[in-house]
Amino acid sequence: MSDAAVSLPTTTPAGHRWTRSLRVADEHLSRVLAGEERLVFDGAMGTQLQARGLAAGETPELLCLSNPDQITEIHAAYVAAGSEAVTTNTFGANRLKLAGQASVDEIFAAAIACARAAGPRYVAADIGPTGALLEPMGTLSFDEAYELFAEQAIAAERHGADLCVIETFADLAEAKAALLAVRENTSLPAFVTMTFGEDGRTFLGTTPEIAAVTLSAAGAQVIGINCSLGPADVAPLVARMVPYARVPVMAQANAGLPELHDGVTSYSITPQEYCAAVGTMVEGGVSVVGGCCGTTPDHIAGERALLAELPAPSARAQASQPFTCASAQRLVELRPGAVGVIGERINPTGKRRLKEALRSGQLDYVLSEAIAQDEAGAQLLDVNAGLPEIDERAMMLRLVREVSAVSTCPLQVDSATPEVIEAAVRAYPGKPVINSCNGKEESLRAVVPIAKHYGCALVGLTIDEDGIPPTAEGRLAVARRIVAATDAAGIPRADVLIDCLTMAVSTDQSAGLAILDAVRLVKRELPGVRTVLGVSNISFGLPYRELLNATFLTAAFAAGLDLAIMNPLSQRFMDVVHAWRVFNGEDEHEDAYVRDYADRARRDQEAKRPALDTAKLSVALDALNALAADAGMELTTAAAPQAAPASVSPTDAAPGAQTPADRVRQAVLEGRKDPVADGVSALLDAGAESLQLIDDVLIPALDEVGKRFEAGTFFLPQLMASAEAAKAGFDVIRARGASAGVASKGRIALATVKGDIHDIGKNIVRMLLENYGYEVVDLGRDVDPQDFVDTVVEHHIELGGLSALMTTTVPAMAQTIELLHDQAPWCKVMVGGAVLNPEYAEMVGADFYAKDANESARIAGEVLGAGEQ
Amino acid sequence: MADAQVRGIIPPQRASYVIDAIDRGEVLRYLGYRGQAITPELDARIDTVIGTCLEECQPRGIWAVFGRADAQGGEQGQPEGVALAGARLVLPGADIARHLDGACAIALMSVTLGMASERALQRLALTNPMDQVIFDAAANALVERAADAAEAQLVAHAHAQGLYTNDRYAPGYGDLPLTVQAPLLDALDARKALGVTLTPSNMLVPSKSETAVLGLFTQPPARREGGMCGVCAMSDFCTLRSQGLFCRR
Repeated sequence: MSDAAVSLPTTTPAGHRWTRSLRVADEHLSRVLAGEERLVFDGAMGTQLQARGLAAGETPELLCLSNPDQITEIHAAYVAAGSEAVTTNTFGANRLKLAGQASVDEIFAAAIACARAAGPRYVAADIGPTGALLEPMGTLSFDEAYELFAEQAIAAERHGADLCVIETFADLAEAKAALLAVRENTSLPAFVTMTFGEDGRTFLGTTPEIAAVTLSAAGAQVIGINCSLGPADVAPLVARMVPYARVPVMAQANAGLPELHDGVTSYSITPQEYCAAVGTMVEGGVSVVGGCCGTTPDHIAGERALLAELPAPSARAQASQPFTCASAQRLVELRPGAVGVIGERINPTGKRRLKEALRSGQLDYVLSEAIAQDEAGAQLLDVNAGLPEIDERAMMLRLVREVSAVSTCPLQVDSATPEVIEAAVRAYPGKPVINSCNGKEESLRAVVPIAKHYGCALVGLTIDEDGIPPTAEGRLAVARRIVAATDAAGIPRADVLIDCLTMAVSTDQSAGLAILDAVRLVKRELPGVRTVLGVSNISFGLPYRELLNATFLTAAFAAGLDLAIMNPLSQRFMDVVHAWRVFNGEDEHEDAYVRDYADRARRDQEAKRPALDTAKLSVALDALNALAADAGMELTTAAAPQAAPASVSPTDAAPGAQTPADRVRQAVLEGRKDPVADGVSALLDAGAESLQLIDDVLIPALDEVGKRFEAGTFFLPQLMASAEAAKAGFDVIRARGASAGVASKGRIALATVKGDIHDIGKNIVRMLLENYGYEVVDLGRDVDPQDFVDTVVEHHIELGGLSALMTTTVPAMAQTIELLHDQAPWCKVMVGGAVLNPEYAEMVGADFYAKDANESARIAGEVLGAGEQ
Repeated sequence: MADAQVRGIIPPQRASYVIDAIDRGEVLRYLGYRGQAITPELDARIDTVIGTCLEECQPRGIWAVFGRADAQGGEQGQPEGVALAGARLVLPGADIARHLDGACAIALMSVTLGMASERALQRLALTNPMDQVIFDAAANALVERAADAAEAQLVAHAHAQGLYTNDRYAPGYGDLPLTVQAPLLDALDARKALGVTLTPSNMLVPSKSETAVLGLFTQPPARREGGMCGVCAMSDFCTLRSQGLFCRR
């Protein structure tokens, strides 16, 4: 294990230590890590402690201090049975779980001494999960988890452990935090195992394949499965892991389920049954074995005997590796020859609405783009937050978090700044793609180590200090330099994506063929690497670009392109992809093609027939009539645009003489989105002022909704449906760029207080306030009092809203208000939530009590002046 | 280990529950419904979200029965409460002591809809607040059904031993503090078995999870009037109660 030849700085751009060189205890262990020999771990600690009378729920790690002989006795029994490595009694020995009962360092010191005293070949320091859930589902941050694990890892090395076993993890992010803590703070080999349910996923939805891809890329020396289920159920799961593991695989199953016989707990699976299943796993490629809950020295002795009969493991044939990347819930795998789609739309370059969204921090539009691309067939999503006037690092982290919440597509982190890239990939639960490095020395030195350290796939652009070489050979030369650097860093070729850079054919007509040649050359001369292209650039400056793009994409696939960075919402693009998958055999038996396209000819035919959208037309016509009437004009066909058809039936045109504005109002009351959007659209077409539309139509409709809610004639979902419908109207106004003259009515900060994770009430309030034209800064849930105050001060916000759902979190509300009064005395506070009432609100120092979302809109009007502009 | 001889004691039992329907009326009650006219669109939407909830959530549970530890509470100066034998768990407070008065053994249970419910709620919070509200109500109804299912297993177990059970009593009711969540989950090994964790403020994550304590009795226990409202910390504010309804049937 030697580090890359390139001289590296001692820390990452963000100041984390690069991996140290490994310290491997002896030759046997080093052969185990190379997959050339097998290793036998021990069995259960907890089961043995319980058999010795330890109560359930006791902190077992403390026994290393109070009953060291008992612990050593358990280890010794395993050593006698044939365990080469014994696992210290430190599973829960982190600062969080110990809660001050003992220090992490003293527990590890005692536990390692207990293990060592039993005379094993290796002492494996056990590191279990923190017991708390990481963000975004939980409240523990990645960095906090990392610090907890680092404390354990450092103690493990200090007191002489030979390796660390990070086990029983359900959260890939947490496992990654533990792995990084060991790699960055010690020289010990790290074995990492996760635990799966009967559905073949961890509690957080990770599959064995995803775990294998992510953890072996992220630098674990051994990966595998522990605990979970009995060995017969673990065997097929671990078999799924083996093909994706680049390192040896371990399995430590449970001995079935606990049963009670005559007051004594025992497990259902005998050592014989257990070892039969372990035999299957070893044949399937598992080379490190042991046991988890319920296993005993008898199980280990059986495993030892089993392994003694087997020949040394054969080196696994490394067939041409697939390209892989993964989110915590989705694996993307491209076998050689297969093609993939990377959605390009979350990138502000040249996209006005995206720029606006990133600047304002209102990410609804970004998230809807993520969902749309995912549904359209994107396999990865490129994410770029590069706008000069925003904090790119903070926005990138937020994008990664929120896009991951709405789509399971793995992400391609797209930034020119190494610090931003590192921040985004470090805590990413999965194996992301980095976009990008290039042939410049500076870029290779900064970005390649990040990709290696965090286990990412990496896009390399064929551009260097001299610019983009015009010829295919020139681009190959840059690609060679990039691949030399990734080879030297130890990044597998399947993780390297060369981008030969698409140039506009309108500026250089030979560009198209040069790019295709370059793709062909790179694939031939640098076997194993993949290619990627942002396709759309080819048609820049020419009309009807989709045709050129699609034609070029077809040619590029034929030249060997593996991944296209493109707009998956373009049907034409996706048609090419689907068709190509027929030709390259990826779409076996053309199943997907037939399923998706059999009906297409007929649908195309139907689509050509002009469908008369009478509803839309009638709204438009009414709008025109109304405007004309206002202007005292009589509408004639000559004055109307040609679109106004003479054939709209009179019944459509005048139901109860409602004006188009009335109908929009009515649709808001009924909570129907589409009629509101269509109606607003038609009114704008007809020349209506956006301001007037908002103040005279949408807002009064919302006020009426509020009144009905107040009176109990509407219940909550109706209030929300109306708010949603009104929002559809506002969205039309915004999309038309017609909101320029509409000023925000003021900013409001919202948060669910520290310690509270219920955000539903707050989300309802936000939705309604935004509708009324307020700019809402939503800090989310479990918000630290000082963070709330800082935000209020930074934006000089005049109204804050706090929500709490539990009696236990009301004190956090009081604390936030106290800080606010102290540091931002200008800011009024409204509070709400199930456990509050007017008296409580007064007690915690709030200015207003909002019994529901509707009331919060009224309060906002009172404080910020709803009518003012 | 004298307690091992007590009838009904059983180590943690894991289960997953197939629940294919949620009571629509209950979901509407959680949404504050009081007979308003519902448009067909809203009607269909509620059904769709209930369908999504059933599809995405995987209700699972774990339950176990412990003996009562002697001595605790009997001695003078000891705070009131009930200690469990074979678990490092003391349930403090007068209310739980009353709930378990006369019980020969104590059952703990925990159920959850799994992280999928949490993910769905977070996704909807970002994309569709209205569906989040409906999903939340549906998930509340579903987690109650999961708790019913776990309780049913416990009742069957108790019946086989000739024992009776009383109502589910949750941390946060009466003076039983939320701080017992951690040792309660540990006694069941629920973090490992179910993936149920706690925030620093002792809230369960996934949030659609429950824990409960029940007593096992040799004689049928007297049922409480009006369910648990009398001991519920939320009863002063409860929107259901204000309508004369209960959160549990």
